Amino acid sequence: MESILQVKNLNISFNTYAGEVKAIRGVDFDLKKGETLAIVGESGSGKSVTTKSIMQLLPKSNSEIKQGSEILFDGKNLVDLSDKEMEKVRGKDISMIFQDPMTSLNPTMKIGKQIAEPLIKHQKFSKKQAMDRALELLKLVGLPQPETRIHQYPHQFSGGQRQRIVIAVALACNPKVLIADEPTTALDVTIQAQILDLMKNLQKKIDTSIIFITHDLGVVANVADRVAVMYGGKIVEVGTVDEIFYNPQHPYTWGLISSMPSIDADDDELFVIPGSPPDLLNPPKGDAFALRNRYAMAIDLEEEPPMFKVSDTHYAATWLLHPDAPKVEPPEAVKRRQHKFTGGNHTEGEVFQ
Amino acid sequence: MSEKLLEIKNLKLFFNKGKKNEVRAVNDISFDIFKGETLGLVGESGCGKSTTGRTIIRLYNATDGEVLYKGENVHDSKSKSKTLEFNRTMQMIFQDPYASLNPRMKVNDIIAEGIDLHGLAKTKEERSKMVFDLLETVGLNRDHAGRYPHEFSGGQRQRIGIARALAVDPEFIIADEPISALDVSIQAQVVNLLKKLQREKGLTFLFIAHDLSMVKYISDRIGVMYYGKLVELTTSDELYRNPLHPYTKSLLSSIPFPDPEHERNRVRISYDPADHNYGENDEVKMREVTPGHYVLCSEKEFKEMADHSSTIKNV
Ligand SMILES: Nc1ncnc2c1ncn2[C@@H]1O[C@H](COP(=O)(O)OP(=O)(O)OP(=O)(O)O)[C@@H](O)[C@H]1O
Ligand SMILES: Nc1ncnc2c1ncn2[C@@H]1O[C@H](COP(=O)(O)OP(=O)(O)OP(=O)(O)O)[C@@H](O)[C@H]1O
Ligand SMILES: [Mg+2]
Ligand SMILES: [Mg+2]
Repeated sequence: MESILQVKNLNISFNTYAGEVKAIRGVDFDLKKGETLAIVGESGSGKSVTTKSIMQLLPKSNSEIKQGSEILFDGKNLVDLSDKEMEKVRGKDISMIFQDPMTSLNPTMKIGKQIAEPLIKHQKFSKKQAMDRALELLKLVGLPQPETRIHQYPHQFSGGQRQRIVIAVALACNPKVLIADEPTTALDVTIQAQILDLMKNLQKKIDTSIIFITHDLGVVANVADRVAVMYGGKIVEVGTVDEIFYNPQHPYTWGLISSMPSIDADDDELFVIPGSPPDLLNPPKGDAFALRNRYAMAIDLEEEPPMFKVSDTHYAATWLLHPDAPKVEPPEAVKRRQHKFTGGNHTEGEVFQ
Repeated sequence: MSEKLLEIKNLKLFFNKGKKNEVRAVNDISFDIFKGETLGLVGESGCGKSTTGRTIIRLYNATDGEVLYKGENVHDSKSKSKTLEFNRTMQMIFQDPYASLNPRMKVNDIIAEGIDLHGLAKTKEERSKMVFDLLETVGLNRDHAGRYPHEFSGGQRQRIGIARALAVDPEFIIADEPISALDVSIQAQVVNLLKKLQREKGLTFLFIAHDLSMVKYISDRIGVMYYGKLVELTTSDELYRNPLHPYTKSLLSSIPFPDPEHERNRVRISYDPADHNYGENDEVKMREVTPGHYVLCSEKEFKEMADHSSTIKNV
């Protein structure tokens, strides 16, 4: 399948009073035309920073995209574009639903106008056309009484309603790439289901490619074609949705799967990945997950694992996939899933760089 | 049954009351919260969950009805010291961690605000120690104390909000979607933490959330809201085993499962309020269908549900 967006060797740091926070440390991925790629991973692992860098929306004052980082879209490296060129891309080709709806809405502007404005600016809609489209979008995202509420301000809406307004803004221009950073986290499951269907329909209609960031693995199972798992500023595992849910390889992914309560859970404590996230001021030598990993080996403390190939679509950065590594038993929660896996594993231990 | 900590009686909160754009955000709801329990509150986005929480904690003045805390009406005016004490015992973790943290304050001052206000630390050292302990409790570390909110990821900010609420040693916490911004391992950590605090200190929670598997896990009882009304209230096991209100059924049928195959074959039940076909003489109110299981329904629906529930019991 054709790639629409390619991220290569992305490295990003923040300069803070305490020193250089190495937030993104060599991220590579492809987004294919018409697919939904879910990004999951630890809080603070760099999901939002990665996607904000695609939009070139990181704070100028203290962030730095390192030399050699590439974000290729439409034959251009977005990292090199001027603000003006980038603004065109943002308004039309790539749009983003932000994690925090309140900061992406203008508190002093009526919501209808906020949806209509980019249409007038980038798509040459008349004012009337733009307002009609705004109303249509508000209906589409399931806002009650859109005719009256189109004239209200953001603070007059509930958390989930605001989020739907943000979604309407992002969908207004029929983008080629839609980046959705926890778009449904604030929504109840019935409206969430509606929004997910809406995004899928949009995808069918105009072949939009979607990057979907969420902590809800149920939502991932519902929307994703492929899944990338982030930890400590890197992608540590990537594969098709079935590969990640039924045949995960990275111990961090195992930890995530083990932490979920099942709907028929009893009263035991929930599993928690021990320890704390790596300090990105001084990223550890070796595998950043090593100290929290009960399967860690001596080499994990010395050397960073490369991406090992599991199948043509599945890669994971863990020394456990090295041919000389001992065979280990994954946790129970993972073993319970493996019988559903129908795919195969590649010749084990092949290194992919 | 343990003692009632809160009694919410016929509570109403209307925005823009009497105007054309009136919103009946909370429209005559009644329920009790028992000491030491976790009551989950779920329901459609915009149905009035946050407004209910905010009215209980007096961020809004109730349009009608009352909230009794240990038998005292919280909306009555009180002496200054009483108000201060009241503010300490009831805390809220806000839904929007971005809007609720002052961007110009460092994290240690944000967390210590309540400690200072209520004079809970005797020395500077004690204050710092309390802040560090709280940071650790919520899975952050002491290095974070000197930073500003914008330097944190979404989930990290949410935990700052939790630390701030815990700082003043409250008895009752309204947690408005306290974990939805967190990754699953930290969700598990926070939920384990809340449960531990509950065991050790007898804390009581009103837990507002959308993630139904987590709500089920943490709650003793669950209330389901729809358009300003409470439509069902019962223990969490019973709610999942025997949901009676059609909105609850629809909600439960939409929970996404972390299993791709299951999701590809999912069947959802939709809910249309018009299907009730309530007539003019139907009295629609909360009725106790089985002991402790309340449903908003008409007399006719009540009879059907009661029959249905008795067959379930007999299986
Ligand atoms: N403006 C900033 N200044 C300094 N550090 C920052 C800034 N923005 C982000 N960071 C740091 O970069 C890292 C990655 O943050 P990011 O927001 O991408 O996390 P995330 O994976 O989206 O987490 P979450 O799931 O909690 O939203 C974090 O350690 C965060 O503290
Ligand atoms: N300040 C306000 N002025 C007018 N209407 C308001 C105001 N705040 C909330 N509302 C409306 O009151 C209703 C209930 O809002 P509330 O925030 O309580 O919902 P919620 O159940 O918490 O939803 P969510 O799950 O999306 O957070 C909504 O219709 C909302 O639009
Ligand atoms: Mg984020
Ligand atoms: Mg709310």
